Amino acid sequence: MSRTEPVLRMRSVEVHFGLSHVLQGVDLEVKPGEVVGLFGRNGVGKTTIVKAISGWVAPSAGEITFRGERIDGLTSDQICRRGIGLVPEDRRVFPGLTVEENLRLGAMQVRGRAKGETNAKLAAIYARFPRLAERRRQFGTTLSGGEQQMLAIARVLMGAPKLLLIDEPLEGLAPVIVEEIFALMTELREQGIPLLLIEQNVKRALSICNRHYAIERGKVVHQGDSTNAEDRERLISRISV
Amino acid sequence: MTALFDSLQFIYAPQIINGLSIGVAVILMALGLTIIFGLLDVINMSHGEFYAAGAYLSVTLLGLDLSFWLVLVLVPVILFPAGFLIERYLIQRVFHHRDRHILTLLLTFGLAIVLEDAYRLVWGANPMRPETPISGATEFLGIYFPQYRLFLMAFGSLLILGVWWVVYKTPAGAIVRAAAYDRDMSASLGVPVKAVYALTFAFGVALAGLAGVLLAPIYSVFPTMGKDFILLAFTVVIVGGLGSIKGAVIAALLLTQLQSISSLFISPVWSDPLVFGVMVLVLMFRPAGLFGGFKNG
Repeated sequence: MSRTEPVLRMRSVEVHFGLSHVLQGVDLEVKPGEVVGLFGRNGVGKTTIVKAISGWVAPSAGEITFRGERIDGLTSDQICRRGIGLVPEDRRVFPGLTVEENLRLGAMQVRGRAKGETNAKLAAIYARFPRLAERRRQFGTTLSGGEQQMLAIARVLMGAPKLLLIDEPLEGLAPVIVEEIFALMTELREQGIPLLLIEQNVKRALSICNRHYAIERGKVVHQGDSTNAEDRERLISRISV
Repeated sequence: MTALFDSLQFIYAPQIINGLSIGVAVILMALGLTIIFGLLDVINMSHGEFYAAGAYLSVTLLGLDLSFWLVLVLVPVILFPAGFLIERYLIQRVFHHRDRHILTLLLTFGLAIVLEDAYRLVWGANPMRPETPISGATEFLGIYFPQYRLFLMAFGSLLILGVWWVVYKTPAGAIVRAAAYDRDMSASLGVPVKAVYALTFAFGVALAGLAGVLLAPIYSVFPTMGKDFILLAFTVVIVGGLGSIKGAVIAALLLTQLQSISSLFISPVWSDPLVFGVMVLVLMFRPAGLFGGFKNG
């Protein structure tokens, strides 16, 4: 795969929920190493885009390709094993599983990985997230919101994601934790893992994005270069309407 | 004082032991039922018939002169793939329908009728009783306990602990619990949820079959044997909390002791109304059961 060929491409993707036409022909791309922001007001279809990529909802039209392979129509576990990692809205930490059990589940993305390799990965995760190491035997429910967010991100990093979908990672978190999560996403960008990021804190999110899309009523209404001040202003005026 | 000890020794103790052995048997039945409900959210009305399948298979295999211990291993091994196929090709057909609960209930109920008639056709309507593999009795404090019942209690307790250990202490159990909590998120971490469902259903069926082998020498084998036991197993699962392993164990022991001890004072015909009365009370005051849910242990 060439450096400029998109890792992820959505072409004319439509999603219906009963009579609601939630996505109305979405075209979107994420290129290698890019952080792409997806912005828009609540209920415009941002999370549905992530769900369609993850296989949680089936597109009624259009196609989604990942590293050149069509993935719409695959099950979520097949999509995950192709390298798409998901940090969903609300974190979705398994409450009755311990921190370590949650993390080990993340390793399921890679089939046939030796036990020693998983343990090494776990040790690396604990070194990066010492608070999770301290709470390794605690249940997911006993963690604070920020710790759960870290666990949700750490869990997906236990695999070997080639693309990360991160949906509203900062929602409801204390400012100190927001900084930590941001530092983590910056690290991921530096490691060259492409990210598709949904975030309400637009100004903050734009600081780590390479490109962005604005979504309105299930359509892409603007796309631009996040490093370009004019494009950033255009995005902000567009989603503030 | 002596009269009190005598009644404790010769009246209550045998009843308690008898209640315990029935309790262990009911737990074995209820475990598969509650695991299947906890993970798949499916009320398996054919669970009793899988128990009967285990018992009939044991009668047939024992008739081929195989040892009881070999049969104890073989029957779950035979029933496991059967359960897998039933989940894959029957349950999954209606699993994603919006009327899933009703449809799976009707489907498994229909399957129960078909299986029950199949047993009648193949093995006939007359009860059969395999020979007890362990005969004799052991004396303890002046009372004789049948050795097979003691074995059943010990083996059953080990089995129950084993199932609890698998579900709560192993990576495979963590996968099952994760899929029960949140199937979408589990799938997005790479858990093959469909396979997990089928394997768990198969595990529940194999457990029911194993219970059938173990209980056949005590309760006889006949086409409706599943129905007789499943009613109590369902009550146990409801009282303990649908999907809770701990709840099933405690509720089974409580209810079977209640049946056993109460039969000393009132006519045994009242034991069923008594047990169902407890279920009604639990549903009135704790609708989710005593320990409500697979996720809670």
